Amino acid sequence: MKKLSLFFLIAGLLGSCKMDLNQQPISSATSDTYFKTANDFIQGLNAIYNSTRGYPDRLMNLSETRSDNLYAVSDGGVRDWEGINSFHKTIASNPYVIEAWQTNFNGIFRVNNYLEQLAANGSTAIIDESLRNRMEGEARFLRAFFYFDLIRYFGKVPRIDKVVSASQAKSIGRSNVEELYALIIEDLNKAINALPAPSAYAAADKGRVNKYAARMLLGLVYMTRSGPSLGVEGAGLNSNEWGKAVEQFNEVINSNEFSLLTSYNSIFDYGNERNKEVIFNIEYSSGANPVVGATFPWVLVPDNWFNSLGLATQGGLTIRPVSDDLLKLYDTGDSRKTFSIQQGYIYGNVAETRSFVKKFVDLTKVPANRMDWPINYIVFRYSDLLLLKAECILNGTSGNIQTDVDAVVNQIRKRAGLTTELTNVTKSQLMDERRREFIGEGVRWFDLIRSGSVESVMKAWIRKEDVAKQMLDFQVNYVLYPVPQSELDNSPGLYTQNPGY
Amino acid sequence: MNPNDIESVEVLKDASAAAIYGSRAANGVVLITTKRGKSGQAKVSLNSYVGMSEAYKKLDMLNGEEWIDRAVEMINAQWEASGTGRLASQSNAERRKILGLADGTYNTSYMYDDRWLEPGRPGLYLINWQDEAYRKGVIQNYQVAASGATEFVNYYVSGNYLNQQGIVKGLDYKNYTARANVEVKPNKKIAFGLNLAPTYSIGNDPGVEGKDNIMHQIYSMSPVQDHPAGTVNVFDNEKYPWSTSTNDPIAKLNYYIGETKISRLLGTVYGQYNILDNFNFKTTVNLDQTDSRSNRFQPYTVGGTLANRTNNPNQATYGSNSVYRKQTFVNENTLNYHLNFDKHDITALLGQAYNFDKLETSSITSQGGYTNSSITTLNGAVATVASTGATQSVLLSYFGRVQYAYDGKYLLSGSIRRDGSSRFGSNTKWGWFPSLSMGWRLSQESFMKPVTFINELKLRGSYGESGNNNIGDYSSIALLGFYNYSSNGLSVSGQAPSNIINPDLRWEKSRTYDVGLDFGLLGSRITGSFDWYTRKSSDLLLNVPSMLSTGFSSYLDNAGEVKSKGWDLEITSHQVRKADFSWSTSFNISHNSNKVTKLDGEQKEILIPSSFDIQHSLLRIGEPMYSIYVVKQDGILTQADIDAGAALYGSQKAGDPKYVDANGDGVIDANDRVIVGHPNPSYVWGITNNFKYKNFDLSFMFQGQNGGHIYSLLGRALGRTGQGSSDNALGFYRDRWRSEEDPGEGRVGKAYSTFGRIKNTDWLYSSDYWRLRNVTLGYNIKDLKLGSQSKLSLVRLFVTLENFWGKDKYDGGVNPESSNTNLSGSSDYPEAGDYGGLAIPKTVTFGLNVNF
Repeated sequence: MKKLSLFFLIAGLLGSCKMDLNQQPISSATSDTYFKTANDFIQGLNAIYNSTRGYPDRLMNLSETRSDNLYAVSDGGVRDWEGINSFHKTIASNPYVIEAWQTNFNGIFRVNNYLEQLAANGSTAIIDESLRNRMEGEARFLRAFFYFDLIRYFGKVPRIDKVVSASQAKSIGRSNVEELYALIIEDLNKAINALPAPSAYAAADKGRVNKYAARMLLGLVYMTRSGPSLGVEGAGLNSNEWGKAVEQFNEVINSNEFSLLTSYNSIFDYGNERNKEVIFNIEYSSGANPVVGATFPWVLVPDNWFNSLGLATQGGLTIRPVSDDLLKLYDTGDSRKTFSIQQGYIYGNVAETRSFVKKFVDLTKVPANRMDWPINYIVFRYSDLLLLKAECILNGTSGNIQTDVDAVVNQIRKRAGLTTELTNVTKSQLMDERRREFIGEGVRWFDLIRSGSVESVMKAWIRKEDVAKQMLDFQVNYVLYPVPQSELDNSPGLYTQNPGY
Repeated sequence: MNPNDIESVEVLKDASAAAIYGSRAANGVVLITTKRGKSGQAKVSLNSYVGMSEAYKKLDMLNGEEWIDRAVEMINAQWEASGTGRLASQSNAERRKILGLADGTYNTSYMYDDRWLEPGRPGLYLINWQDEAYRKGVIQNYQVAASGATEFVNYYVSGNYLNQQGIVKGLDYKNYTARANVEVKPNKKIAFGLNLAPTYSIGNDPGVEGKDNIMHQIYSMSPVQDHPAGTVNVFDNEKYPWSTSTNDPIAKLNYYIGETKISRLLGTVYGQYNILDNFNFKTTVNLDQTDSRSNRFQPYTVGGTLANRTNNPNQATYGSNSVYRKQTFVNENTLNYHLNFDKHDITALLGQAYNFDKLETSSITSQGGYTNSSITTLNGAVATVASTGATQSVLLSYFGRVQYAYDGKYLLSGSIRRDGSSRFGSNTKWGWFPSLSMGWRLSQESFMKPVTFINELKLRGSYGESGNNNIGDYSSIALLGFYNYSSNGLSVSGQAPSNIINPDLRWEKSRTYDVGLDFGLLGSRITGSFDWYTRKSSDLLLNVPSMLSTGFSSYLDNAGEVKSKGWDLEITSHQVRKADFSWSTSFNISHNSNKVTKLDGEQKEILIPSSFDIQHSLLRIGEPMYSIYVVKQDGILTQADIDAGAALYGSQKAGDPKYVDANGDGVIDANDRVIVGHPNPSYVWGITNNFKYKNFDLSFMFQGQNGGHIYSLLGRALGRTGQGSSDNALGFYRDRWRSEEDPGEGRVGKAYSTFGRIKNTDWLYSSDYWRLRNVTLGYNIKDLKLGSQSKLSLVRLFVTLENFWGKDKYDGGVNPESSNTNLSGSSDYPEAGDYGGLAIPKTVTFGLNVNF
């Protein structure tokens, strides 16, 4: 029986190993122990910025490719962008569409989690109140940024302003665009109050969002709301807030923090990042692990062009040609055309005669890892702000005059090497100027929607451009993308699909 | 495990018998007993075989001529579609003029290679890539074993060497194993044992199977090139303009290094103390430790483009070195009691076990290429990136079992087990798993005595519950991920939660009922068993899709329920049992089916994501797990169909595939997907015949399966609508639609299609097959005298053929059982499938067994 007691002794010892069942991860952190120090909060904020990293690629895939700037029907109709470009009805499971919904909501989750943690532990973890406020302002700006992106692509989306469980999310339907805008405007106003001017940031923090970025976004929000509703529950509310937009833009102009560069090319120069024209950019750099570099430079560039120059394949796959319509819109001598567009190339003895957007590529800066390009993406630039203000003026805001519009447009044109001055610039001329200026920057599609001309322009363009007869008819419903099919499947009846899909 | 070391293999079908093994038994129990020494004279045996293997089947692809025929057809069609006034009859020179190209330049989309149509095709090579890759591989195996026993000690030791050349160049495997089983009984009270089985293996695999790996490329590579195989678009050679941009896969087989060395130690130490004659205590300590080291090296000379190889030498060279150590430590302590009186027989067991698993990983990969690609270790790398990781888990168990038998006729057994796993939520770590079984040996009853043709009949019934904790460590905890950003040109670290927490994550439970019958007829001339089971698995550990508005696409939860049922029949009959001649036949067949009966909450279905395009499989209530869910194809569209308003997918035209408008809304889209099959075979069967005539023996075994389906994503590479002219296509594409007058066999549409693609039945294949799995002919000599003294107790010579004959319906791949790629592309939904698998080997071996 002595042995029997030994057995129970061993069993008892092992029984005391019950604590062993509470295993904590060895090589990753858990959120139980996080958000306790100021450094934790800085890292938590950086993770929110991380959610903006896909923004430029998304603009190229969902905005530039959707617009009349690119005629990107592909060989055999097999590229993921084919359905985007050619207005397929069946794109509710398109990876680009899913990415837009998913990444923005993941960013919103990070903001919501961050704001909750900040409310709970912020005052003990971060002693400096102005720093704490700034961090809250950054997070709020980014939430507004994510929601505005969602509204422009999808219209109504669920309004989530706190961390929700999987089961809670199943009962939160799509909110009206007005309610989403209310959250955006509230967040942006708080951000404007809390954020510093770019010059007030220390060097290491220069990449963070500033007060004027928030003002520019708020101005763009007012303009977007002022656009026509087009009969869809999209971003336009016909709200006639052009004047409110101008107020925001004037604050930016009067800050004297920004100015136009004298050369178009130098705005995008890899050695001239965060120049005086940049109001807000998303930052990328090379050589880190995990990578924090960019991919957008090659998204619209065919791999064979890199190959023809002896460079490694980057991942843009086949060509997404610039439309003939846009090529013809440039006057001779327009430096923006030569800078932004590569007109064909020869690889071996194989000739490609079509043109594509190479605007963001510096061939001397090709990284060893194709996912790791060292160039920031300019989200808001000063020339855009000035032209947007001109647009508000043409839409009848009081206290401003036509000559202000002409002056801005001529200033932009002069920089591009065009000497003939325009007078009495019309809305349509302004649109054309924006199209030339911002090629490849994902602006054209939203300009078409905001101006209300999207249906007539796109229909006429398809008739003219689509020689391969691969595009389908345009209908105005296509100003919004479909809700990802997975969201309709996961909770049947909670969301209804956007019309037209 | 070396088959020569195995004494016996037992499959526990009984739900109750398996229950005592707890969560490790979730997928059934196979008990393998290794050999141990037996008393008597020490035995030494030598076993060896040498053989040769090659591919059982090659994939039927278009050959060079057929590829040219298809490419010309497509290029002409593309030319005609590219503008008005462009005709297929126009020559390359005319096309060049219209396009405004310089002399000697081509547009490969609109112009073909003039040499294709010239006699002898000067300067071109028509290559059968599979023939270049496959080879005959030599297999050798040698084993020596010795065993014996005395009153106090018994032992079994063996050593084995295996050297296996693969059926594809560059693929081989060497394995050294040893085993020592020793048991010491110093007195009647105590026994100690030690089983040790170290193995060491070296495998070379340049990256053959799976998506984007070498076999995939071998299948899809253009069969027409301007350099011979082994030199296509590698070293100083430019890509052939009409070819896929893939680098020569044969060169990759030759120059890629993928070496994995694994040493594994399986050790068991046990001690038994007999407290009473019929009451003992046993303690066992098991250690299973695997150390693996993998080196990969891919030189730039066989990658990228010529211009990049020339301008940036070494930049594309890649190397990695990864290591892992996996340890499982188990300590099990049991008390065993046995009581036998009158006709009663009782055994009881009480035990407790502690199970600890740990995985440590580290890897170093090159970054930014190499400075010198003649160095194949990371010493040559420009820079390296390293990472390490570790996870561990603990399983604690307490269990007890009582077995009772009366008169060898009535059998009753009950067990209960309690398991706690560290992987589950803080409140839900523990689960109870009871079982109960009954048996009745009818043949022992007096009323059965008159039925003389039945000599054995046993009825069994059992119920058992088992648990599954087969999920990642720390699955219930909110982990933080790294989400870095760049600020002012420098990386800044960022962290955020990477999953939805689930503190209520608990055991998945299976409840199995099994009824079985064992029988022996005509003096055991016919023996067999029949089992019928039904199993309900509930609280399934599933990655449930969550609304993306949570921030995440899925989370691990106990959701849903699956019912499976099936039966299993095994019959062995001895047709002839004579001294000089015997013939016996064994047959087994099993039928299994399952269906989803419940999902998360009100959910009716979960669509499984796909790594390519829209989903093609789902979990839907009332249907089998992972049912295949695609649009049905029904022949080829004619102009008459289109004029009559046939439903179309996008801009479909005559000659494109005709799809079934399942929901009748007049268009083809993802909503027209229907369930067209399920991946698991309904029936799996095998039949073996054994003949013995004097010193000869002969056996042959057929096996097969029916009722399952493959959804072959390899089709995406080899047979998709809208596929370009450069990728090679499956052989049956030669019978494609060419015109309304020449519509082919109605399976494949026209070569040049522009409507895009939708997942449909074109990649669906039946996984039915039958195969002559094994034929063995042996010759045995007993007590062979060598000289006057020594004697060989047994010499056996044999020849074995494996996989020499058979038939399957999978013409989109080579092996209906291939599993090399996760089709969902997500570790959350493991869905094994084929995306470039290797043929099964067809092998002939010659063997020799000698017992001294």
